[in-house]
Amino acid sequence: MIFFAFSIIISLLTFLLKHKTLTNILPKLFLSAHIAVSFWALFKINQFDSIYYKFDALSVLLSFVLSILSVTTFYHSYLYLKRHKVSVEQESNYYAALMMLITAMTSAYFAENIAVLWISVEATTLLVSILIFYEHTEEALEATWKYLFICSVGIAFAFIGILFLSMTAGNNGITSLSSSKLIAVAPLMNPLWLKITFLLVLTGFSAKMGLFPLHTVAVDAHTVAPPPISAFISTTLMNVGFLAIFRIFTIVAQTEIIHWVQNVLLIVGVLSIFMATIQLQRVNHFKRMFAFSSLEHMGIVALGLGAGGLGYYAAILHLIFHAFTKASLFYQIGQVYQFFKSYWIKDVSGYFKLNPIGGLSVLLCFVSILAVPPSGLFVSEFLIFKALFVNEHPIVAVVVLALLSVIIYTILKNILHLLFDDVPTGLKVDALKVNPYETISQFVLLSLVIYLGINPPIFFTDLINEAISVLN
Amino acid sequence: MTYLFIILYAITLIYFALSERTKKFVWLLAIQGLILFGVVFFSLNKIDIFDFIFILLETIVVKTLVVPWFLNKVRKHNQLKREHEPYVPVFYSIIVVVIILIISFMLSNYLNDSQMHTQYFTIAFTSIIFGGYFIMIHKNLFSNVVGYLIIENGIFLLSLAVGSIMPIMVNLAILLDVFMGVLILGLFINRVGDTFKSVKTEHLSKLKD
Repeated sequence: MIFFAFSIIISLLTFLLKHKTLTNILPKLFLSAHIAVSFWALFKINQFDSIYYKFDALSVLLSFVLSILSVTTFYHSYLYLKRHKVSVEQESNYYAALMMLITAMTSAYFAENIAVLWISVEATTLLVSILIFYEHTEEALEATWKYLFICSVGIAFAFIGILFLSMTAGNNGITSLSSSKLIAVAPLMNPLWLKITFLLVLTGFSAKMGLFPLHTVAVDAHTVAPPPISAFISTTLMNVGFLAIFRIFTIVAQTEIIHWVQNVLLIVGVLSIFMATIQLQRVNHFKRMFAFSSLEHMGIVALGLGAGGLGYYAAILHLIFHAFTKASLFYQIGQVYQFFKSYWIKDVSGYFKLNPIGGLSVLLCFVSILAVPPSGLFVSEFLIFKALFVNEHPIVAVVVLALLSVIIYTILKNILHLLFDDVPTGLKVDALKVNPYETISQFVLLSLVIYLGINPPIFFTDLINEAISVLN
Repeated sequence: MTYLFIILYAITLIYFALSERTKKFVWLLAIQGLILFGVVFFSLNKIDIFDFIFILLETIVVKTLVVPWFLNKVRKHNQLKREHEPYVPVFYSIIVVVIILIISFMLSNYLNDSQMHTQYFTIAFTSIIFGGYFIMIHKNLFSNVVGYLIIENGIFLLSLAVGSIMPIMVNLAILLDVFMGVLILGLFINRVGDTFKSVKTEHLSKLKD
C-alpha cells in the first residue's frame, strides 16, 4: 500500500511539475521502489498486505519479471524520447503514464480480491491507451479507440462473470471476493454458474491476454505504440490478462467442472494458434508479425493450462520466457527502425550488414522466440507437448505441431529477409547513429531465458511449483 | 413497483431501437438513469445506509445528469444530428428487441436461483444483449458509446438482480467503467471528429494486413 501511495505521488509530481531534472530523477526513484517491492514480496511470501493484497508465489514471480522489464523499458523509452526530440512536457507525460501503468499492473498482480483485480485491469486499459496514442497519428488514434472500446466491452463482460461468481459464492455464505475464501468454498458452488463465469472471464480478459477471440485489439495496439510500449503490451500486460484468467481458473480447478474448463482452454489455445498461422501468411509489417507471434505463444500457454499436470508448470515457465524474449524483440525492432525508418517488411532488409551486433541480437531473438535450443522456450514448449501427450490429447498436440511448423517457416522467411537480403537502394547509411551498447539489454534478457531454461535455480522452480500447488 | 420500472426500462430499449436521432439517444440514457434511481430507491433500501446513499447518488448524479450532459456536449461538438442508415432497418430492430426479451425471460426462468431476482435478471440480460446489438448495427462512434452505456446500465441492473455480496465495491467498479466509457471514449470521439471531420466507423479501418 505504501508503494502505491508513493508511486501515485511520484507520477503526479512528474506530470504536474514537468521539470527536466525531476523527470530524470523521479522515474529512477520509482524503479528502485518497484524492485524493493518485489524483494519485499519475496521475503513476505504468502502474507497479506491489507485485506485486498497478498504476496503469493505467482504474483512475486510476475512482479520480478515486471521489475526487470521496467528497467529495460525505461532505458529504451529514454532512447526513444531522445531520438524523437520531444519537449520536457511530453517527456513528463510519457513517464508519468508509464509509472502509473506499472503501478496498476503491480496492483493487479498482488490483488487477492477479485474486484480489486478487476479494477486494476481496468486502470491498466486506461493508462496504456495514453501511451498507445503517444505519437498522435491517425493510425494511433484508430488503434487507441479500438483498444479502449473493445477492452472496455471485454472487461464489462468479465465483470458480469465476477457478478455471477459473487452470486454463487453468496449462496454458500461467502461475503467477500477474496480468492482464498472463494477457493475454499469452490467445491460447494453451483457448477453451471461457475461455467458461465469462466466463459465470460476468459472472453473478457482475452483482450488483455491477447488470446482468441478478442486478440485483434492487442495486435493493432502493438503496431502503432512506441516500441518500448509495444514491448510492455506484449509481455507484462499480457501477463496481467493471464493472471486474471488464472485466478478464476484456480477457483474452478477445485470443482468437478475442471475437465470441461480445460477442454475450453484447449479449444481457445488451438484457435489462437490457428488464427496466428492464418494471419502470419498475410502479414507485411514487422510489429504485426511479432503481435501475431504473441497470439501464438499465449495460445501455447492456454494449452499448458488445458493439458494440466506438468502443463501448469510449463505454462508459467513459458509466460516468463516469452516476456523476456518478446520484449527483446520489440526493443531491437525499435533500433532497426532507426536504420530503415519503416516497419514494413518490404522496406527492411540487409540489417546484418548495416549493424552486425544488432543483427546478432535479432538472430538470437528469433532463435529464442521460435523455441530452438538452447532457448528456454524450447524447454517450456517441450514440457507442454509432453503434458499434452501424457494427458491423452495427442490430436491437439499433432495439430498444433503442424501449425507451429507453418509459423516457424513464415517467421523465418521474413527474418532471413530482414537480416541477409540486399540493403535497399537509396538508404542513407551516413545518418545512422546507433550505439552498440543499446543492444546490451537484449543480450542480458536473452541470456536470462537460456540460463533459466537450462539451469533454473531452485528458488525459481520452487516459486513456480508453489504457484501451481493449489491446482494439483 | 418492480414491474412498473421493468416495463418502463423495456420501453426505453424499444425506443432506442426506434430512434434515429442522436439527441434522443442522450434523452433515453437520462431516462434510464432515472429509472435505475427509482429501482434502487424502492428495492435496495435494506442495505447499509452509506452504500444506499452512494448508489442513489451514482444513479441520479452520474447516470441521469453527468453522463447525458457530457454526451450532449460531445454530440454538439461533432455536430451530430441523425444516425444515417443503420445496418439494420428500424422495423427489424424492434423485432430483435422483442425476441431478446422473450429469450431473456425464458433464460431467467431456466437459471432460477434462490439468490437471483428473476425479473431484474430478465431486463438486465435484455439490456446487455441489446447494447451489443446496438453497437453492431450503428456506423458511428457516438452510437457505439451509447450502446456501451446500455450494456453498463444492464450490468448495473444485473448487480441488483444477483444480490451482490459487496455493493460498494461493485458500484465503484461500475462507476469507474462509466467514467471510462463516457469521459475517455467521449474525448476520443472528439479527437476522431477533429481529425477525420466525421465520427463514422469506416474512417477507422486503416490498420489491417
